[in-house]
Amino acid sequence: MNSLRIARSALRVRPTVTRAAKRGYADVTPDKIRLSLALPHQSIYKSQDVVQVNIPAESGEMGILANHVPSIEQLKPGLIEVIEEQGGSKQFFLSGGFATVQPDSRLSINAVEGYPLEDFSADAVRNQISEAQKIAGGSGSEQDIAEAKIELEVLESLQAALK
Amino acid sequence: MAFAWKAAGITYNRYLAVAARVVRRSLKDDKRLQAEKRGEMDLRFAKWENGKQGESRNLAEANEQAAQPHAGGQ
Repeated sequence: MNSLRIARSALRVRPTVTRAAKRGYADVTPDKIRLSLALPHQSIYKSQDVVQVNIPAESGEMGILANHVPSIEQLKPGLIEVIEEQGGSKQFFLSGGFATVQPDSRLSINAVEGYPLEDFSADAVRNQISEAQKIAGGSGSEQDIAEAKIELEVLESLQAALK
Repeated sequence: MAFAWKAAGITYNRYLAVAARVVRRSLKDDKRLQAEKRGEMDLRFAKWENGKQGESRNLAEANEQAAQPHAGGQ
């Protein structure tokens, strides 16, 4: 009697387990990397499967593919290229941030500002470069000169990307 | 890695803010107007001592004043 009751309750419990497929390693198909590219105000990619991501790390330009060794990279202000599953590739200029590769092919990139290249104006970049050069070569406070140098670094990278 | 801005007394936070500001200013006009709003900060703070509130000061100005003697002393 008892065993019958137990068997019946076991039957009731089982159906739920088979339905929800358990997430295993094979769910992230081995040649894709799961990218999350986030800015404070916007999420450009949210856990989306892509093929490759090229990032401008301080330690050098890197291409991140699936199964990359886990690492944390500080990013230079520069161009990120995302090669998507369909074969197209998108480029974004990021103002700086960090890229974190986690095990099981997950890549999280955080940046403060990031836009596709067509949103930039080459004239605005040129004007800012000449202004920043004036300040950097001038005799303002060290703080101002250092900030102008940071601006020049970003602007030169942006100008190179826009060509 | 020794960064030039770190040697000059600029924190990483400030470095990010400067880089973001430059990127925002380099945008085309329509995007730039929306983006510039993100760069605005108008924070005020006041120090409390013995249960009394001190004078309310603007955070950006206070940071600038605090940074000056440090940069000048380098």
